[in-house]
Amino acid sequence: MSNSDELRAKHYNEQEPRPCGEAECDEEAHTQQQIALAGWQAGNRLRADGEEDPLRIGVYICRCGGNISDVVDVERVAETVRLIPGVTIAKVHTFVCSDPGQHMISNDILEENLDRVVVASCTPFLHEQTFRGAVARGGMNPYLYEHVNIREQASWAHKHDPEGATAKAIRMIAGAVGKLRYAQPLEQIKLPNHRRALVIGGGLAGMKAAADLASRGIKVLLVEAGTRLGGHLNQWGKVYPSERTAAELVAELTQRVQHDPNIKVLLNSRVTAVSGFIGNFKTAIESRHHSASMQSRAEVTVGAIIMATGFRPYVPRDGELLYHSQPCVLTMPEFIQLLSSVSPDTKKLTYHQQAIRKIAFLHCVGSRQLDGVHEPGANGRLNTYCSRTCCTTILQQALAVRRRFPDVEVFDFNQDIRTYGRGEENYYSEASKAGVVFFRYNGEEPPQVHRTPSRRISNGALTVTVKDALTWGQELEVAVDMVVLGTGMMPGQIEDLIGQMKLATGEDGFLQEVHPKLRPVEVAVNGVLLAGTAQGPMNITETLAAAGAAAVKATAMFAKEDVEVHPYVAQVDPALCHGEAQCVTQCAYEGALKLVEMEVDGEIVSRAEVNAGLCVGCGACVAVCPHRAINLNGWRLDQFEAMVEGIATDLPQPPCASELVSIH
Amino acid sequence: MNTHINSDFAPDALVIGAGIAGLQSALDLADQGLQVLLVERQASIGGHMIALSKVYPTLDCASCITTPKMSAVAHHPNITILTNTEVEGIETREEAHHVRLLQKPTYVNFDKCIGCRLCEYACDTEYPDPFEEGLGSVRAIAVPFTNAIPQKAVLNAEVCGTCGTCARVCPTGAIEYDQQPRKLTIRTDAVILASGFNLNALTIKPQFNAQRSRNIISPLMLERLLAPHGPYGRVLRPSDGKMPSSIAFVQCAGSRDESIGVSYCSRVCCMYAIKQAMLLSGALPLADITIYYMDIRAFGKGYEQFFQNAKAMGINFVRGKVARIDPVDGGDLSLRVETTEDAENPLQVRHHDLVVLAQGMIPGWQPAAITPVACASDGFIATPSLVAPTITTAPGIFVAGTAAGPKDIVDTIAEAGAAAMQASQYLHQKHSAILVA
Repeated sequence: MSNSDELRAKHYNEQEPRPCGEAECDEEAHTQQQIALAGWQAGNRLRADGEEDPLRIGVYICRCGGNISDVVDVERVAETVRLIPGVTIAKVHTFVCSDPGQHMISNDILEENLDRVVVASCTPFLHEQTFRGAVARGGMNPYLYEHVNIREQASWAHKHDPEGATAKAIRMIAGAVGKLRYAQPLEQIKLPNHRRALVIGGGLAGMKAAADLASRGIKVLLVEAGTRLGGHLNQWGKVYPSERTAAELVAELTQRVQHDPNIKVLLNSRVTAVSGFIGNFKTAIESRHHSASMQSRAEVTVGAIIMATGFRPYVPRDGELLYHSQPCVLTMPEFIQLLSSVSPDTKKLTYHQQAIRKIAFLHCVGSRQLDGVHEPGANGRLNTYCSRTCCTTILQQALAVRRRFPDVEVFDFNQDIRTYGRGEENYYSEASKAGVVFFRYNGEEPPQVHRTPSRRISNGALTVTVKDALTWGQELEVAVDMVVLGTGMMPGQIEDLIGQMKLATGEDGFLQEVHPKLRPVEVAVNGVLLAGTAQGPMNITETLAAAGAAAVKATAMFAKEDVEVHPYVAQVDPALCHGEAQCVTQCAYEGALKLVEMEVDGEIVSRAEVNAGLCVGCGACVAVCPHRAINLNGWRLDQFEAMVEGIATDLPQPPCASELVSIH
Repeated sequence: MNTHINSDFAPDALVIGAGIAGLQSALDLADQGLQVLLVERQASIGGHMIALSKVYPTLDCASCITTPKMSAVAHHPNITILTNTEVEGIETREEAHHVRLLQKPTYVNFDKCIGCRLCEYACDTEYPDPFEEGLGSVRAIAVPFTNAIPQKAVLNAEVCGTCGTCARVCPTGAIEYDQQPRKLTIRTDAVILASGFNLNALTIKPQFNAQRSRNIISPLMLERLLAPHGPYGRVLRPSDGKMPSSIAFVQCAGSRDESIGVSYCSRVCCMYAIKQAMLLSGALPLADITIYYMDIRAFGKGYEQFFQNAKAMGINFVRGKVARIDPVDGGDLSLRVETTEDAENPLQVRHHDLVVLAQGMIPGWQPAAITPVACASDGFIATPSLVAPTITTAPGIFVAGTAAGPKDIVDTIAEAGAAAMQASQYLHQKHSAILVA
């Protein structure tokens, strides 16, 4: 039996759970229970001098305003976990994350001399950092803190089993208390911060983010795969709601980007390799010159990476709504190109030598797709999302057609008109006033495009059929000369970067933020930020704001001399290491683990050594070491064992008369 | 928490409004090492968001998202907070903004108040609680709400009977009945306007008769009813405490309507109605829930999927316009509806026992006359720049969130970051120019 095993055996005296029904719950039973508990003699830790110090652990249980307490009996949880040796106080609060809640914790650390803290609340994803901050303000090392998720894992997961959820919450807290017994104070690891950003994508978002960062004195490398800056904007005419031209917008930003000495623009270039971590990303960029045969490769170290990789317009399948089968079925970008190619003096609209007298605009092509109605795309996925920009774009174009070519009739087929943004509703009302005819369909029955039968072809070569809600479900046919498909946005093709940078994508295929409100432009990889439509459909105003939001996060990151990363890295105990290097073989991160020569008792021996800057804390080395010589700080093997033991140990029933401190 | 300033305090930036936009802007400025003064007219920071139940599309509880940001602001060494403070005007001269502030009396000395609430417990004067949208009551002297920052009591002089009880029970002698308003002017280089929104009146459309029934409620009231720590702890209708069994959401009841001067879309109502309908169907599993709408505008990331889930849950979406609402016997309501969904019967009369009117978003503050910024025809702050949506017509003054038009929380937070970026850029350029000169 190892030392720690003995210690734990002493801590967790096998204790039969005592029923605490009303009959037994007399004073005598309580006294007995108190005596039994005193026998645990647990909750202690070994001091350097071999003596035991009693632990003083504070446990805080959050009601989450009812999210937890509507299911979990939080008062009973508190009463029960107070019986765990070492737990000095157990308190319940409506919102532990609120300022009064956090204040309670830092105050208790000072006044009750707490030396370990557990908060049982929501996912650590939301609030682990919040509570580490509160603990630090109380003067305690923030890594002597454990977070227990009794919301997602107890109250929400077991909504219909309050008893079970309560029991589970108790065991989870007991596990965290167990783990904390062997917790050691840790410090964040400080690493150099390379004050330079890589912006991937030279469209609107990339240019804006680069300009913002550079204006704060930060060096920026702006990498664009295409031959010019501006991205999709280069194909557009006037943009809403300003009604100024996209060219003007591109020119203004290009001017700023190209004349800022802090920005280096690389066109015809791709980021081909990314490794490293926040403050220290190693990237490789390949550029094509003049002819595709000449290539160059540069390696650059940057502190932050902004993903401004944009979107890809939805392209209908051949034959979808007669696209690519009939010449006069166009996507929206194609239609905008057509309109901008027509000379301003032209009074008649023609296409393929054919006069265009009637145009149908179809909304939601490639967006808001439904299972059983639409066919999945080449990726096997339906685009269930709304592309956010198509409604206003269609109305803007419909209105432009009516104003430029008053003789052209315009028909609009929609399921909802989503002109939500500032100034956008005007396009709807103006289009209505300008005589655009609206048809409305249910999402399950989208309109179809057919070739007009030859006897009626003079009305228009194409016929749109729709079950129209505005006429209470009548089946209508509209013959037109041209059909414009309101095509939406698709995620950009950046699979290689997603793989290399270990980025997450959502069900929609777009890059996924950590949390839409708490960390809306950050991803799970620290130091990588999202700007613009790489994250999901956005219009121009929203893209500019998102790029600014990404830039401000990078600026704040660069305001610090060093970057601080979590201290969960491997640590070798040279006294136990035999230098067999199984860990080194297993390590997947170059340079993170290596054998070094050192002198032990006058002999030169090999021992494993960790480079904390390169270790990511995956734990693969820990699993293969036959001598338990390597451990992951913050997740040591003895902590795991104590955690499991904490979960497995049956706790006695709490005394009925509650002495619980409850703060409402 | 920094709440003290003297008259020579000159922060790098001043943020007006401590709702979610102001909180985020202040944090994003302060994280860059800039000194920020955050000014809020209410007694607590947190804005509208702290009073919401859960937020779409993740259904996180609003407090879970807002309180940590409030707390981060309160503990930030670079942020100073002034609550109960109105902005009376901004003058720009000598290349700086001079912001005139009016600190309203709270009749409590914040240096002495320890937030023990003994005064609140002892006070016997009550009035409808503004935090609970009037659905509950609050004492004349009280800490504004559970999560309020600062946790200090504030006395409402309009309802206080000056009986002296609070002064007697206060253990620290913090009550000061003779407190006077304090005027001060702060010099700063950059200002962010995050002055937020209001809703237009529930009674704005007389044909909805909101003044004749307590069961025609505002969406913010429903937020409080749905909040787990709300006034009743569950969903009950205001007139008689009955559990509602048939709830109607009337969309665009204060927006997209030229007859009331709000022709624009308020942008958030579709999604919060869907969210509230979902939460209601959890709270009242047997209730019928109907949303009367013109267009469902579920445009954001994950929103359309949220809408489709709501349809699958059995929430009734009826495309049509509610023409009139009349109270009927028993506190119920009769709705005249024109719908496109029933060819035989397009004009219908439907009964519900609780009706929620989707009020329109209007500006929360009128800065045009007292500051150098201009407003657009919709009444919100104008943002003329083609490349920066947070730049106003006045150099060095920026705007974030619903002060520049209706916006949901996600879009507001992004814009707040962008405003902070723009402001810090402005400050950087200004300071560089001074160094060069």
